[in-house]
Amino acid sequence: MNILIIIPAYNEEGNIVRVVENLKSNYSDYDYIVVNDGSKDNTSKICHNNNYNIIDLPVNLGLAGAFQTGLKYAYLKGYDYAIQFDADGQHRAEFIKTMYGEIKKGYDIVIGSRFLDEKKPKSLRMLGSNMISKAIKMTTGVRIQDPTSGMRMLNRNLIREFAVNLNYGPEPDTISYLIKQGVKVSEVQVSMDERIEGESYLTFSRSMKYMLRMIISIVFIQNVRRRDKRFVSESGGQSK
Amino acid sequence: MTVVFRIVLIVASIATAYFMLKKIQQSKVKIEDSIFWILFSVMLIVLCIVPQLADFMAKLLGIKSTVNFIFLFIIFLLLIKNFLLTIKMSQLGHKTEELIQKIAIDEKLREKE
Repeated sequence: MNILIIIPAYNEEGNIVRVVENLKSNYSDYDYIVVNDGSKDNTSKICHNNNYNIIDLPVNLGLAGAFQTGLKYAYLKGYDYAIQFDADGQHRAEFIKTMYGEIKKGYDIVIGSRFLDEKKPKSLRMLGSNMISKAIKMTTGVRIQDPTSGMRMLNRNLIREFAVNLNYGPEPDTISYLIKQGVKVSEVQVSMDERIEGESYLTFSRSMKYMLRMIISIVFIQNVRRRDKRFVSESGGQSK
Repeated sequence: MTVVFRIVLIVASIATAYFMLKKIQQSKVKIEDSIFWILFSVMLIVLCIVPQLADFMAKLLGIKSTVNFIFLFIIFLLLIKNFLLTIKMSQLGHKTEELIQKIAIDEKLREKE
């Protein structure tokens, strides 16, 4: 299995050891890379002391930039599949196998979905998730149950496309745009854990801003985007 | 607001939005940076289509002419954008400094080895 687990980490000194040790001891079939996004705490030091596989970004780029760094690395190293994996321990590595099984069927992107078989709990955040789902359904006709899930697996073609382009952040609006362009996206049921250490980045006001940005982006912007022709023929879509 | 004024504003707003979307198509601008301009256009278009809204706001603020409220509204939004851009520019400048310094120091350390 030629899979790279990309772990973007920003100030995750409390979680990173637990997450990486678990991968190293229980899931050594997969390779991993920690992308330290200019953390101000000891994330980098801890990883170096433990000899983890790590890329240090000298300044903070944000999640999109950090994840893209991991994808560039995956592309250069010739990995066939890459998966985005949270450094806070929310994602469970046991489901990587399920997602791999799904992407092997010929999908370009597989999302680890919390709500495929299970019902969405009723909370403010899930209301947001629902609205994004509706917006994607409206513009593409495809229902994505868990668009905000951060656990996504990409195949080699999509690794390249994400790695070299602008406006390919690991967010629901990119997914919506790619579905519209004919990329094959699937979801598999996973379960996730609560984060143990540290604080979530998403405060209330940030969540609201994020929601607004996603809805505007999906409804108004992604519809008119055009895909670079270099990527179209390789991963299905318009050419078929 | 005269009909001509409203039409000019709507056309200008549509042109703004069109220009931004074009830039996104060409991968020349980040989506998160374009959101402001899309919202800006939408708000102006709404104010022109529903002039009662601007009339009401003008009255509320004690502004005699509705157009003056429109001007104030635009100036206000642009000021906020300018303010945010100043902050962003400072941060970018700082990041560049850090990067340049890191590259230079890394090079120096490699020289010694």
